Amino acid sequence: MKKNIWINLGFQAGAFLLALLITTLILIFAGAPPLKAYGSILSGAFGSQKNLIAVLISWSPLLLTTAGVLITFAAGLWNIGIEGQMTLGAIFATWGLRLFQDTNVSPALIIAIGLLFGMAGGALWAALAGALKTFGGVNEIFGGLGLNFVATALTIYLVFGPWKRPGVGSMSGTKPFDEKLWLSTLPGTALSPWGIGLSILAVIVVFILLRGTYFGLKLKAVGKNMRSAFMLGVPTWQYSMFAFLLCGAFAGLAGAIQVEAVYHRLLPNISNGYGFLGLLVAMLINYQAIWVIPIAFFFAALNVGSIQLQIVHKMDSSFAGVLQDLLVLLILLGQGARERLLKKA
Amino acid sequence: MKVELRNIHKRFGKVHASNDIALTIPAGTIQGILGENGAGKSTLMKILSGFIQADSGEILLDDRQVSIKSPADAIQLGIGMLHQDPLDFPPMRLVDNFLLGHAGGLFPNHKEVAWDIQKLNAQFGFALDPEAYVDSLTVGERQQLEILRLLWLGARVLILDEPTTGISASQKTKLFETLRKLAEQGKTIIFVSHKLEDVDVLCHKVAVLTAGKLMGEMNPPFDQKKLVELMFGKEISLGERYSAAAEGATLTLRDLAVEDARLQLSNVNLELRAGEVVGLAGMEGSGQGLFIRACCGLLRPVHGKVTLNHLDLTGKSYHVYKQNGATFLPASRMEEGLVPGLTLTEHFILAEETQGVFINQERGLVLAEERIRSFNIRGTPTSVVESLSGGNQQRALLALLRTPLSLILLEHPTRGLDIESAIYIWGKLKERCKQGSSIVFASSDLEELLQYSDRVIVFYSGKSTPPLDARSLTAGKLGELIGGAGWDEWETEQSA
Amino acid sequence: MRKLFPRLAALALALMLVLSACGQAPAATEAPAAAPAATEAAPSEPFVFGVILIGARNDKGYSQAHYEAGLYVEQKIPGAKMLYLENVFSGSPSYPGQTTSQLASQLVDQGAKLIVFNSDDMKDEALKFAKENPNIYVIGASDDWTWKDGKTYTPSPNQIDIMGRMEYGKMMAGCAAALTSKTGKIGYLGPLINDETRRLAASAYLGAKHCWTEMLGKDASELQFKVTWIGFWFNIPGVTADPTQVADDFYNSGYDVVISGIDTTENIVEAKKMHDAGKEVWALPYDFKDNCNVAPDVCLGVPYFNWGPAYLATMKTAIDGTWQEGFQWNGPDWADINNPDTSAVGFVKGDALSAENSAKIDEFIAKLAGGLDLWTGPINLQDGTNYIADGKAATDAEVWYLPQLLEGMEGQSVPSN
Ligand SMILES: Nc1ncnc2c1ncn2[C@@H]1O[C@H](COP(=O)(O)OP(=O)(O)OP(=O)(O)O)[C@@H](O)[C@H]1O
Ligand SMILES: [Mg+2]
Repeated sequence: MKKNIWINLGFQAGAFLLALLITTLILIFAGAPPLKAYGSILSGAFGSQKNLIAVLISWSPLLLTTAGVLITFAAGLWNIGIEGQMTLGAIFATWGLRLFQDTNVSPALIIAIGLLFGMAGGALWAALAGALKTFGGVNEIFGGLGLNFVATALTIYLVFGPWKRPGVGSMSGTKPFDEKLWLSTLPGTALSPWGIGLSILAVIVVFILLRGTYFGLKLKAVGKNMRSAFMLGVPTWQYSMFAFLLCGAFAGLAGAIQVEAVYHRLLPNISNGYGFLGLLVAMLINYQAIWVIPIAFFFAALNVGSIQLQIVHKMDSSFAGVLQDLLVLLILLGQGARERLLKKA
Repeated sequence: MKVELRNIHKRFGKVHASNDIALTIPAGTIQGILGENGAGKSTLMKILSGFIQADSGEILLDDRQVSIKSPADAIQLGIGMLHQDPLDFPPMRLVDNFLLGHAGGLFPNHKEVAWDIQKLNAQFGFALDPEAYVDSLTVGERQQLEILRLLWLGARVLILDEPTTGISASQKTKLFETLRKLAEQGKTIIFVSHKLEDVDVLCHKVAVLTAGKLMGEMNPPFDQKKLVELMFGKEISLGERYSAAAEGATLTLRDLAVEDARLQLSNVNLELRAGEVVGLAGMEGSGQGLFIRACCGLLRPVHGKVTLNHLDLTGKSYHVYKQNGATFLPASRMEEGLVPGLTLTEHFILAEETQGVFINQERGLVLAEERIRSFNIRGTPTSVVESLSGGNQQRALLALLRTPLSLILLEHPTRGLDIESAIYIWGKLKERCKQGSSIVFASSDLEELLQYSDRVIVFYSGKSTPPLDARSLTAGKLGELIGGAGWDEWETEQSA
Repeated sequence: MRKLFPRLAALALALMLVLSACGQAPAATEAPAAAPAATEAAPSEPFVFGVILIGARNDKGYSQAHYEAGLYVEQKIPGAKMLYLENVFSGSPSYPGQTTSQLASQLVDQGAKLIVFNSDDMKDEALKFAKENPNIYVIGASDDWTWKDGKTYTPSPNQIDIMGRMEYGKMMAGCAAALTSKTGKIGYLGPLINDETRRLAASAYLGAKHCWTEMLGKDASELQFKVTWIGFWFNIPGVTADPTQVADDFYNSGYDVVISGIDTTENIVEAKKMHDAGKEVWALPYDFKDNCNVAPDVCLGVPYFNWGPAYLATMKTAIDGTWQEGFQWNGPDWADINNPDTSAVGFVKGDALSAENSAKIDEFIAKLAGGLDLWTGPINLQDGTNYIADGKAATDAEVWYLPQLLEGMEGQSVPSN
């Protein structure tokens, strides 16, 4: 057992080094001095308090989506629909705020209502994917992809239609909410302690759920072998459904936080790829909840830090994405190789 | 081909699964491998067939040292293996299944392969349709398919890991014929089994493993008593047969009719008494499966009534039956019983009543240790089930039974268990009967049926006998019924 | 077997993402060298400024015009250095979770003393950033915060808002379209809908109507002018309408000239395809002065922004400390509307413009230079209400904040409800 952990870590480190090597080659090829480039990434992520805060802002939704997909992965489900679930969270949060913004309900309460609406929206969208799978026999990957499209279309309809800015028809989004409806942020930043707090809480909840509860154990049984789980008395489809709902609620919360703390409005693309990135992070950490916090942080730092590559080294803005994907790909390949080797050993 | 193993060692953590094994098998020999559960039989066979690698030791084929790193290497060298738990069979045609494992040729020639299958069919008297789908085959047919496939791929050494569980007597006869024919052609057969009588009629030579070590070899005539002593270090005998049946019905079936895509079963009646054991006999797929699933809500009857503990549960789901004290352990233990990837402890926790939200890990551990001890499972609380030997998986499955239970439904309960464990497990089950549980079990082992049942129901292509008193039955009579002879008595009765 | 699928799916997913990212990557390698000659003569402290571009710096459109203005400044001010960020728009996948003002801060970290926010999409963020960073100068291109006569006037001492009077350029484009069109049907490929885009589309219409009636002597009712909006400044697949599709639809339904109002060149690209297939069609691209080169055969001309002079002047005031908050709405240099050092707005005629029409355009430009104001009443809004009374010239504010399209134009005035 002990030995395995070390072998694991060795492979992970090896894959990481390989990714670093390839990245370095790409950097050289693109004409950026690699050491300086890495330096820029580091200082871009941690060089100033502002940058660190930008990292934290990016970290929060990633924590939520990763926590969410850990649940669905545990249940053996590929919740590709998480992007749409996050989008629906944003839409519902916007809806909640709009419903109450002109009433004399206290702003704090409206903000809370927005977050709850967001969670409900995400859960609803996930429930649709779940229902399609359970009752319609539609694989959750295809169902999720379809629902993602519908979610985007719905946002566009709302932004250009019923919720448009007066006199304006632009993809830029709806009219920003009044400042009193913003989730309170650290002064002078878009960082919401509430957002961060809730995201970390979500990770902790998932960690505990998967580790020490009957719910988590039954979920894992469903994920690993649905038929055996059923024979052991686990109500299997209900558990799959519940996994969807929980994941959707987390994703919805992430969407709501984007609306209430970051953009203060609804705009297309508000999910920003956080859902897919969450799937990648979950795969990267081999579905171990304990690693979510540091690895999601690493990815957020990479997101923010690599902006410097464009500013300082005139590299393309998509470089961070390439780097992330490369890392995930190699580490997954490493995991595959390790499994094969261990099986033989 | 002559096979020689020298100083083979293999460890899994603390377990020394192969401990300095040295064994020579001349070409044309049928070599028997015996040993208790967890002795290391499958491990040794997997080493020879490339599924795992030995830590140290040598393998020689026809006196040439070889290195086998994968099943592909093994088949290249002419070694093929039929597994204890058959691997997944995807829904594909036989020809495609053949082509899948075939190394050469970018453009497979279906016609040619189908023709090859027909030729092999003729040679061994099989009737496999090359265009049929693999998942529609019975266990016995799948075995035939695997043998043909391996031969087609050029196997000259054939390893069979417990091939006689789950196939009928006639299928077994056919299998043995085939194996003898192959041996005559100079092929080497390695035959792993727990059934002494099979080894007795088939093998030219037997090796006995115990706890990873080769304890000894024996040539015919085999002294069964001595073999048992080699395996277990002591004599083993069946206990007295007895009945714990008491008054009062646990389960009643009234005019039950069930069906699936292939088979219909109708007019089934049973009054199962508390503590009673009813055995279900018949060839694989003759209706026992339908019957047993109808008893616990996994199949909805088309007609009739099911009562459990005086509650009408007709049409209710399996989970309702479970809440009312019924449990079913199916034959395919890795697909419908155990959850690969979860540990023994996790299994026992899952099988017990949920208590609150959080799992009491300590209690789980105590529970696991207690079950592991009382079911004599070779493994630790943190062992994942797929790391257990076949027999130990079966014990783990049986250890999942909750207490108390009023109805225990089992398919092949002692499948893969060594003689000692089988006796031990039945002892435990009979104990349950004394406490009032009723048992219905399906088995292909006539002796098991006769030894442990109070009554037996025989199935033949969707027909069933009424429950017959086991004491009035003999192995001969039972064999006849299973084969479809001697049914007139009930045919007239049923049509009347 | 069972385990294989998720693993494969994971790989496929990762590969997909890698490939999709790589698809955009090559642009990175062709970074043009920033005028090195100027840096040699650098004074003690070089002036660093940041430009935040809504699109790509090589989009052959709005963003490239700004990028080249930055290069122009680098050339003119010894030692000046431009930093830039591309593709910065709401919800841009390049910067997940990063607000534009955060990105601007990153440029400041690299030494920028002045930030250009190049689009109306960044309007709110520009003002927010200016407020939070009083020591950094801000240029809000196309914004109106610091316009005293503006509807949303907000004092912001470190901010200057700059816009070119593209109305003139659009009138010239409209005129060229009207002179050339054989069907009398002109299409306008509109971006999103707001004050700016309404007034520019309307200006193109006014130019077209003027030349149609005054120069060709035809009846105004025979001129069809239709606006179709895509929803943003450029194509965002899956989010906006596809401009290629919109252009095709125009050409296929009898509109033989399409004027572009968006940042990119779909209209001229499609016109070229139609032309090569034997159709008689023309296009007027937008924003960037060299855009007729995309397809000279079909190009009637291009109205473009020349941000360089205004940027240069403004940045000089930032360097020498004479910075004055305020709003500039800069017109063409009527002496030479294509003078790179003086004219904020220009119009380059295209090869497809006939000699006769070319002369007429020159005549039209001369009239504008001479004081012709097409924004003189009577001007009615699309819903028929009178907007500018007969004989009265519209004020700047009336032009800037045009609430609807004009009578005689087809297309949405405000987004549908
Ligand atoms: N992958 C594995 N990981 C850990 N232990 C293993 C693994 N495979 C086998 N073992 C252990 O090695 C020992 C020998 O197992 P093996 O499967 O060879 O037994 P066997 O003789 O085939 O038993 P059975 O009759 O029950 O099939 C057992 O104690 C088993 O738990
Ligand atoms: Mg075995």
